[in-house]
Amino acid sequence: MKRALLAVAITVVTAASAFAASGKANTGCGLGTVLWKGRADSSVFSQALQATTNQTFGTQTFGITSGTLECGTPGKVVQNERLNHFVRANMDNLARDIAQGRGESLDAFAELLQVPADKRPGFYAALQSNFASVFTSENVVVAEVIDNAVALAN
Amino acid sequence: MPMLYCPFRKSYDAMGVHPLLIWLLVLIVNLAAFAGVCAGADDPYLAELLNRAAERQLHRERAWEVLLHYRPRGDERESLVDDPRFFLAPEGKTDPEAELSATLRSLFSSEASGDEHPRCRFPARAAWLAEELAIDAGHLPPMACPQLDEALAAVNPRSAVLVFPAAHPNGPASMFGHTLLRVGSTYRSDLLSYAVNYASHTTDTNGIVYAFKGIFGGYSGYYSILPYYEKVREYNDLEHRDVWEYPLTLAPDEVRRMVLHIWELRGIASDYYFFDENCSFNLLFLLEAARPELRLAEEFWDRSSFWVMPADTVAVIGRAGLIEKQAYRPAQATRILRRASLLPPDARHEALQTALSPQRAQAVAASSRPVEERRQILNLAAEYVQYRYSRKELEQPEFQRQFLEVLKVRSPLGPDESDAGEVPVPPAPETGHLPGRIGLGGGYRHDTPFVEASIRPAYHALMDADEGYSPHSQIIFAEAVGRYYPERHSIRLQRFSAVDIVSLAPRDEFFKPISWKVNGGLFRRPFADGADRLFLRLNTGGGMAWPVPGNGVAYGMAELDLNLSDRLRDKAVLGAGVSAGVIVSPADCWKVALSGSAFAYGLQYHEYYRLALEQNLALSRTLGLGLTASWERSFDRSRAEALLMVNRYF
Repeated sequence: MKRALLAVAITVVTAASAFAASGKANTGCGLGTVLWKGRADSSVFSQALQATTNQTFGTQTFGITSGTLECGTPGKVVQNERLNHFVRANMDNLARDIAQGRGESLDAFAELLQVPADKRPGFYAALQSNFASVFTSENVVVAEVIDNAVALAN
Repeated sequence: MPMLYCPFRKSYDAMGVHPLLIWLLVLIVNLAAFAGVCAGADDPYLAELLNRAAERQLHRERAWEVLLHYRPRGDERESLVDDPRFFLAPEGKTDPEAELSATLRSLFSSEASGDEHPRCRFPARAAWLAEELAIDAGHLPPMACPQLDEALAAVNPRSAVLVFPAAHPNGPASMFGHTLLRVGSTYRSDLLSYAVNYASHTTDTNGIVYAFKGIFGGYSGYYSILPYYEKVREYNDLEHRDVWEYPLTLAPDEVRRMVLHIWELRGIASDYYFFDENCSFNLLFLLEAARPELRLAEEFWDRSSFWVMPADTVAVIGRAGLIEKQAYRPAQATRILRRASLLPPDARHEALQTALSPQRAQAVAASSRPVEERRQILNLAAEYVQYRYSRKELEQPEFQRQFLEVLKVRSPLGPDESDAGEVPVPPAPETGHLPGRIGLGGGYRHDTPFVEASIRPAYHALMDADEGYSPHSQIIFAEAVGRYYPERHSIRLQRFSAVDIVSLAPRDEFFKPISWKVNGGLFRRPFADGADRLFLRLNTGGGMAWPVPGNGVAYGMAELDLNLSDRLRDKAVLGAGVSAGVIVSPADCWKVALSGSAFAYGLQYHEYYRLALEQNLALSRTLGLGLTASWERSFDRSRAEALLMVNRYF
């Protein structure tokens, strides 16, 4: 069950992040689409005080959601919601960490996937050696790689 | 649009909502609240609670004043929150007692339900009242707050961290930095916690409009909560600002109380002022909500300071005993510099070339270099590709292609053996000198002795110790320098710098920033009649700077100079010139600078030259010794000067 859920989650993540920019504020799709949200970054004044977020706390569930949370019970669904959002927003840093075999984004990713600490080195190594098949349009491979790693971890 | 006089301040709205509509809405909300207030007045249990609250003068309790952001002024109370939706009593902004009674009544109201009910809207107030008055939950109407519960489950508040993104190295305008809070949960990774941010809500892209409105409260500030990784990306990866984190010694229940209070501030607007009622100042309320006995904001009310700087708030929070340690999160540009510094020059060059044309990555991987060096070249190349994208030097499809090309070649080489990506922790912002400076000293000008006194409210001069500040940058506000010449018994204003900003950004293979300066104020120099005259000067310039050994920098600039004075034949002259200099730091506490400039002025044609050798010895965080020898030539008259100053920072 856990494996199936993960596979679904990862497929959703990578499919949603088929390298295309989305119009959503604060979320990027694909590799590194954090945009300036129309801020005049050339103006020195815009650096003076970060006038940023258009998201106020609440209606958009903190900006964690890429859609609406249709479930009343936090838990797995929220977990996956977080995973989706995290991977989309950190796609390029995650890719870099995976290629280098370590990094903060990778640690957070493993934690969201609930990979136990003692299994992480193997998980990271598997991801690193399968980089080319992870970061292609072959989304299924991502699911399989992670699924296999999680299977190894259990 | 007709000009409307509103009894409350107009809230700036990006949607362009007509103020009248807002006003109507406010009226409806207030009426609804009022109706709710009247609804439960005949409940005997509620009447008893209201009596007890009145007897105990609950509205004078510190916790209540904190939750409503009341600012005490003698016996008067006024809330700093400008949004009427924050109050349940119509006069709540200025009447803590009425607001408390209205809040108590609203808890028993059956007007609204679910997330809109005051119990769900103001959970921190409700919790505090329930605790203080030992309210029996059985008497309250049953209530579910799904949105609040969901938010609390997602944030899962356990700990809090003060986050301080430092100034942008080449953007002194960001010198104020920013502060936000991070709310830690049971996740181990910091990236997975939430950030609490207070920021003005603006769509203005015109810098002048932005600054003007920001200074005069034309924007509304809002609190928001968002994933911390988004903020990390914004500061570290997009703006290339280092981030400092200060874990706070707040207990989980205190942090939970704080989050409940943030919930109360959802979508509530306060007028945002860049200098005082800004991000830093407003976060202090949140910490007070966590622990009401803290008195943080008062520090700023009591000293009538013109601005509240993030570094100041860090100090205030530190003095309250909330900070025990700190962490450092280097910006991507900082990491790139570090990685580059660890590679031999040819490997560094190879990394740069690979980032610019990623098809070279294969050749790097297949080269005869040691494997760790190959890894590090590709690591650096990958980060530099990201940097170029953040600077918009690459379009997105191009970025993805190049980035993946480098990473695909990097991954088969296995994990790093070294910690090249780990940046040594620099001195933290709060370890630097204090921003104010007062100086006393003396010297000789052209064989005439004088005594000099100076005062500078803020912030950092090129010659001040760089520890804790962006190196090679200067931001001075409202510095006044006066002199007394005993021989002539004359006291005179020597200089007044309204603003004086210099940003020297060293260039290297990877980064090519422009150095620049802008300043304006009153200056003194010899005029045609031979006397040192005061005149108004506006000066700006741009150029380049390069690193020199000893943490130093060498620079050159082209400048424009506008001088205005009644003593000038045409009242004004415009000049053009060049300046150059070198600043080195032979030891941590010692700085030496040699600078020269030459100008030629049109209209009443004349030339101006200046040479200066300056030294500064930092004796401690609060004490410095400055020694300056200079020579200037203006209207064919030369003046040499020597000056020794003792500076105290405050």
